[in-house]
Amino acid sequence: MKKIAIGGGQGFWGDSPDAAIHMIRHADIQYMACDYLAELTLSIMAKQQLKNPEKGFAPDFQTRLLKEAGKEAWEKKIRILTNAGGMNIKGCVDGIKNWAEAEGMKGYKIGYVLGDNIKDKIPQLLKDGWTFPNFDYDGNFNDIVDKIYNCNVYLGHEGLEACLEQGADVVIAGRAADSALFLAPLKHEFGWAADDWDNLARGIMAGHLLECGGQGAGGNYMYDWRSVPRMDELGFPIAELTDDTFDITKAPDCGGIICEQSVKEQFLYEVHDPANYITPDVNVDISNATLTQIGDNRVRVGGVKGKPRPDTLKLCVGYHKGWKTVSMLSFAWPDAYEKAQYCAEIIMKKMQRRGMKADDIHISYIGLNSLHLGVADMSEEALKNLNECVLRIAVFSEDKAECAKIIPEISPLQLNGPPGASFFGGRSHVQEVMALWPTTVPRDVVQVESHILEI
Amino acid sequence: MAEIYLNDIAHGRSGDKGDTSNVCVYARKPEYYKIIEREVTPEKLKAYFGDMVKGEITRYDVPSLQGFNFVMKHALGGGATMSLRLDSLGKSMGSAVMRMKIHVEDGEI
Repeated sequence: MKKIAIGGGQGFWGDSPDAAIHMIRHADIQYMACDYLAELTLSIMAKQQLKNPEKGFAPDFQTRLLKEAGKEAWEKKIRILTNAGGMNIKGCVDGIKNWAEAEGMKGYKIGYVLGDNIKDKIPQLLKDGWTFPNFDYDGNFNDIVDKIYNCNVYLGHEGLEACLEQGADVVIAGRAADSALFLAPLKHEFGWAADDWDNLARGIMAGHLLECGGQGAGGNYMYDWRSVPRMDELGFPIAELTDDTFDITKAPDCGGIICEQSVKEQFLYEVHDPANYITPDVNVDISNATLTQIGDNRVRVGGVKGKPRPDTLKLCVGYHKGWKTVSMLSFAWPDAYEKAQYCAEIIMKKMQRRGMKADDIHISYIGLNSLHLGVADMSEEALKNLNECVLRIAVFSEDKAECAKIIPEISPLQLNGPPGASFFGGRSHVQEVMALWPTTVPRDVVQVESHILEI
Repeated sequence: MAEIYLNDIAHGRSGDKGDTSNVCVYARKPEYYKIIEREVTPEKLKAYFGDMVKGEITRYDVPSLQGFNFVMKHALGGGATMSLRLDSLGKSMGSAVMRMKIHVEDGEI
């Protein structure tokens, strides 16, 4: 019976390439998919590209992964799919072309998928009466239309699969949905029909369990993190599928753990309604799914069902929202928290006097409540004898100059405030705040193109 | 009757989509599923979080995995891009849920 194994090589832009390199060298896989794009990544890339047209993608895919193990993957016929193209797919492809030529990889086929960037189509869509309703908040799209950095549609598997059909050894996309990177090769290999919803759902769930890299193999593992072997050599998960079975496992001779609990924690991660996990390719139903340990580091996934895909595609719009600055000051025993609180008061009084117009201010104390906020333990017992505490003040303003007013007020408190205040990390900077406008567009707005560049 | 941390009988993970935080919560042993079902209602969780979670909380039950998925809207101070919080992605929302105190009957665990 035909069996296809696909590995998850990357969980986000900035992730370690170690597990992917190990997998190429030691695992029996035919495909690998590497996810580089979180929700905001494209906005960051768009901003980089504005400053330098040669940027706007994740160069690490080539410089850290392909350079190290890309030729070996090609020789072993492991085909790699990625959304590292970001906002500059051609830039990403050029980098890979130059590398492959230098390596003498004649015949290496680079596939790439265009069509997710629909920024140019926005004016026409508005004219046609499409209102871009925001999933999360009320608001009028017209109010942000002049501040947009990027408008990218979450593409499904089609363009990626077309590249594979044309023999691509590596496939570069922009905003392809993370899980579509994994579904495409599985659908291509098993020849699933475009409306074979149950199988498409299995392919998507393979992607879902792999797209966050180490988090699917014992990273960020709440159940029993101490039990995870060799976290310094954490392997990333591998999905093995046949027509009937769907297993999660990992490469030989690496750290990490694949067990019911570790797979479970990833299973509902960033899912909302388990009966309607909506992707561009299929509406997945995992409300009756099962996970069974069937071997060492091997879990079988069952009960995944699919329903027809949605008529619209998710559109991620990133736009300029305002500015923020984050300032910190540290304090030691005794009365560390009380001193930090008093400093916050001093700073706020000064800011009031300077007439700072902040749209939002968030004060917290690192070491005490900056993570758990309102549910942190702030009992007398927890505060007593605190070794140290860091005051953190974050300010948001639509006006950059207002935001900057707080910056020079922090370091003077080393001499002018309660005892022992320590300023670290240098003066803070005003950072741009980008926001997302999550919405949808009709499917027919998007024209997907698949291309092949042969070395 | 005893008061325990949810963490004693459950595990899970938090994720983010915009300003929405989802926390999946699984029973550490199958027999704990019923306790979580009874003790961790959306209403109780909403009261527990107070101001921290500004939107509605929905619970989806997945008995085949002995788990629940809690979807909390307007829970991340604006979300990854906008939030002024140190933990703008809500990575610690999972442990924040686990910190909730629940009641168990004698002999239940």
